[in-house]
Amino acid sequence: MKTLLRLYPRSWRKRYGREMEVLLDGMPAGVGVGLDLVLGAASAYATVIRGNRILTAAGAFLHGVCVAMLLQAILFVSFILYAQRSGGNPVLVEIGPVRLATFTRPFLFGNAQLFPLLGLTPAMDFLPSLALLVTLVAALVLVLASPRLLRTLR
Amino acid sequence: MRRISAAISLVLLGLLTIALAQAAVVALLFVFSLVLKLRLGIEVGAGALVMGSESGYWQPQVTVFNGATVASTVFTTVCGVVIATWRFGRWRPLS
Repeated sequence: MKTLLRLYPRSWRKRYGREMEVLLDGMPAGVGVGLDLVLGAASAYATVIRGNRILTAAGAFLHGVCVAMLLQAILFVSFILYAQRSGGNPVLVEIGPVRLATFTRPFLFGNAQLFPLLGLTPAMDFLPSLALLVTLVAALVLVLASPRLLRTLR
Repeated sequence: MRRISAAISLVLLGLLTIALAQAAVVALLFVFSLVLKLRLGIEVGAGALVMGSESGYWQPQVTVFNGATVASTVFTTVCGVVIATWRFGRWRPLS
């Protein structure tokens, strides 16, 4: 458990490290205590970052990049879901002359419609996409709420 | 001089972050295409990267073109810069 104290910022360890070690000596080692220590370390780092303007902006930049990544993943899965529901037709996404993405089904005897017509496309093939989309939206909500969650940990 | 070198370090770190984020997005797309049983094609400049299983001919194919790659990079950068600038302006010292 004392190894987990290394997760804390140096300034925090200088000030409270000894006291925390004495406290941990009297506590039983368990998953709950370990989890408390990890969350406490996150909260301590959040305090250090909030006290510095540049670090706050850097943290916000990382946060923005994570949100952008999740939004792109959601867009991709939404496109797949839409294309899967469009029957056998190829789907093309373009903005003006710029092509962004396409979704095409395999051709059977030169016909992309034969696969769904002959029942060769798995039934409910959109369910994995839907499950993935729900998971990504939940992850996005968690990432957006994480600064507020970290603040309530204090 | 210190401020200039600090600013250059920040910019380089930002670029590295964007590059890592784009690599992570490509990895995510690859994992999704495996889960959803798709063949994934990503156009890179004049060439293309196609990922799929050996028996993947009968799988639907998703192709992402250069326009989407560029738009993705720009979107990621803009999101990060906008939020960082907003937080930089709203920062107040801790009481």
